[in-house]
Amino acid sequence: MATHREDVPTTSARANGASLAAFLAAGIGSLAMGALVVLNEAGIFPSPSLYGPAGGLSGRSTLAVVVWLVAWAWLHRRWRGREIEARRVYLATLVLAALGLLATFPPLWELL
Amino acid sequence: MLFSFDSLTTMFHGIAAGGLALMGLFAALFWLYATRSADGSEGRALDPTPYRAFGVLMVLVAAALWVTVLGGTYIVFPTYRTPPPEGVTALVDYPRAFLLSDVGTAWLHAFAMESKEHMPWIASMLATSVAFVATRERGRLWADRGMRGMTVAVLAVVFGLVSFIALLGVLVNKVAPVQ
Repeated sequence: MATHREDVPTTSARANGASLAAFLAAGIGSLAMGALVVLNEAGIFPSPSLYGPAGGLSGRSTLAVVVWLVAWAWLHRRWRGREIEARRVYLATLVLAALGLLATFPPLWELL
Repeated sequence: MLFSFDSLTTMFHGIAAGGLALMGLFAALFWLYATRSADGSEGRALDPTPYRAFGVLMVLVAAALWVTVLGGTYIVFPTYRTPPPEGVTALVDYPRAFLLSDVGTAWLHAFAMESKEHMPWIASMLATSVAFVATRERGRLWADRGMRGMTVAVLAVVFGLVSFIALLGVLVNKVAPVQ
């Protein structure tokens, strides 16, 4: 007897590449934000002010989002439809996100 | 007027949008916990409704976070950092200058507000990746333990971050409210 559950995949035939691309791109975007903050605080790359009232934050955040979206689009194109070894990508994503967060932690800048 | 425009936008930023995101994140984490496979079996048939709804929930969470972060950066933050005109000594209407004028409150800018400037962007990017995975993978998110574990890990990071940022926001706004 047919049930409403018939169309539910028990295991997915869809490749995991696109999802891993989304995770890794978010990690890359996080690191980009952290790197831009550190570069700004160290005086190496002062953040441009794209919206005067918000100051350099507007430049830093916009650049980080651009890096994130470009990385996502590039990875998505490369990995879509492919089955990728997930463990390494998960680890890389978490490490990149952790580094990005660490770099946005103000006590770290005071060491510069 | 009882509440100024700046005060209302700050409340919307922190309580409405930020609060919605925080509640949604908690609901998503709880849901992932509650729907875990108790016997560790993978690939079992599931009713499609829960993971469809989980995707919708995560899209709402990501959208709420983006509204919070964009509103915070482009509406609330400019008011917060407005410099006082020269000669003005009553700084209560200039939150950043007010906080920095006292050694006892300077950390609320140097630590709290500086953290609030950048960390929410990272939380939003990470939440968006989970929203994408939740809407795209559906069945796989339940059947693939690794992907499910990664989703839980990323959501836990985002939840911790948003909670931390919200707490800092409460502290800053308590001492130097945007009004």
